[in-house]
Amino acid sequence: MRKALPKFGLNFFCLLVYIFLAAPIVVVLFSSLTTTEYIVFPPKGLTLRWYTELVNHPEFMQSFMLSIGVAFGTAIISTVIGTMSSIAVVRYQFRGKTAIMQLVGSPLLIPTVVFGVALLQFYSWIGLATSPAALVIGHIILTIPFVMRLVVASLVGFDRSIEQAAMNLGAGSMRVFFQITLPIIKSGVIAGAIFAFITSFDDLTVALFIVSTDVVTLPVRIFTYMQYQYDPIITSVSSIVILLTVVLMVVIERVLGVGKVFESKNE
Amino acid sequence: MSYLCLENVVKTFNKTEVVKKMNLEIKQGELVSFLGPSGCGKTTTLNMIAGFLEVDGGKIVVDGKPVHLLPPNKREMGMVFQNYALFPHMTVFENVAYGLKLRKVSKDEIKSRVAEALEMVRLTGYEKRYPRELSGGQQQRVSLARALVIKPKVLLLDEPLSNLDAKLRQEMREEIVDIQKRVGITTIFVTHDQEEALAISDRIAVMYEGRIEQLDTPVEIYNHPQTDFVSRFIGEVNQVQGKVVKTLNNQESLVSFYGYEQILTRHLAKNSVIDFYIRPEKIHISLEPNDGIVVKVDRKMFLGAKTRYILHNKENKHIIADIPNTVLNPDHVQEGKDVSIQWNSEDLLATKK
Repeated sequence: MRKALPKFGLNFFCLLVYIFLAAPIVVVLFSSLTTTEYIVFPPKGLTLRWYTELVNHPEFMQSFMLSIGVAFGTAIISTVIGTMSSIAVVRYQFRGKTAIMQLVGSPLLIPTVVFGVALLQFYSWIGLATSPAALVIGHIILTIPFVMRLVVASLVGFDRSIEQAAMNLGAGSMRVFFQITLPIIKSGVIAGAIFAFITSFDDLTVALFIVSTDVVTLPVRIFTYMQYQYDPIITSVSSIVILLTVVLMVVIERVLGVGKVFESKNE
Repeated sequence: MSYLCLENVVKTFNKTEVVKKMNLEIKQGELVSFLGPSGCGKTTTLNMIAGFLEVDGGKIVVDGKPVHLLPPNKREMGMVFQNYALFPHMTVFENVAYGLKLRKVSKDEIKSRVAEALEMVRLTGYEKRYPRELSGGQQQRVSLARALVIKPKVLLLDEPLSNLDAKLRQEMREEIVDIQKRVGITTIFVTHDQEEALAISDRIAVMYEGRIEQLDTPVEIYNHPQTDFVSRFIGEVNQVQGKVVKTLNNQESLVSFYGYEQILTRHLAKNSVIDFYIRPEKIHISLEPNDGIVVKVDRKMFLGAKTRYILHNKENKHIIADIPNTVLNPDHVQEGKDVSIQWNSEDLLATKK
């Protein structure tokens, strides 16, 4: 009995934390069902009107597809560069290694607003016009630190005699990388890719500086829409994004196991 | 005819030679141990043979062909690592099959050869397990099967037993020798454990500071160490000082050890003082006083089949003696009492520096 009470207390506390974390999401989901012309919680009445209304706003769909595309491109390139750099940084000694580490980590320290301004200045200086590619480049800079942190963590303590064993059995260096090294650090690499994807998909601050009228990512679209109108279509768009994220997480969980992906160390 | 040859092999790290002009010849099917303290160059030498380190000078020849310029994946050597180095993301079967797949062996043949290799290390039935599901000893056996299944020219074992507990270590080393003899593969076994080296080797290369101090059979290494280092490193020794009283003839000299005179069958210069080594188990204790060197018993330690006596003489020279309890009943020896010790002159290990 004496043990049961603290356990109940802990569970209750955890429940509170979960409610606190989930509440905003739930509010958005329910608000999207309101029959009113304005956003309200709890919703008044239930309707899917704001979802069908989206048909009249193709620009949301365009932005959504653009965001997905940019996030994909960012995740792939950033993961490839980040993984290769991590291997170089962890395994080799070279001049300026610490400087590179600091430089790569700096986007984590600099406020994204400052980074957005800098990027805008830089792009106009080199004459790079607004384009999905320009966004991807900006997001790569933003996300490489995340990828590198996760991949470096999975490389530290990597037993290199495993690679030697593969070489000893007759594998060349490419084979060793793809058949041995990569599968072993897989969890760090995938976690890095997911982080890069989410960071890019989620980014508003940097994108605000780079977007033009025809290249608008979803967060920017929602943000600008809200400055002029405040109707529940925002909540329906947000709900779709939330549902998609959930679906994505479930798929990853089924295929790889999220727990595994985010484990800092595989045995 | 030697199968594996090292000719003047040199390795330098940061301008220090860690392997100095090493020469070594190993016969086909022989098991040679590299034995030495850490930093003696044994692992470095092994890594050069495996190809993980480049040689900075000299040649390595296997079966008449120089291999020291080949990358490790072209050397056809099987290696077993200290920490097993199994592929954690592959099952036991996949681990063992890896080298065969790279050699484009047919699926059926892979199956039968893996099964054969696993049977050899007594792990049949473990094919579907992952390395993390195996004990240390089992992992090391998988590692051995993985190295042998490709039928390498040379088997290299890098301290394969040092992560196992004492009892398992003994079992595993017997198993390794057993398999090695059955397969008849030329093997190099790196270890810092002299008992291990003495127990399993055909020959031992005792290494120190990048050199082979002595390459000999275990019996020769133990009974006739050729250098000062080997005498001290292998087994335990007491250092005793002998003063040459007189030279009797060309082959014999009379030497005094702390007043105990003995004729040695060696020609030694008169009045010279020479260090000798004597192993603890070669010392005899006599309860009679004045029957050799008189010593006081500081302590006796019962070690099961034998008892270790820690003694010192008038000059405060400490001497350790191990006497089987069947030869001398430890109850008859009292701590603090005087006894005499002596030894056969042929048991003295001379030092050649």
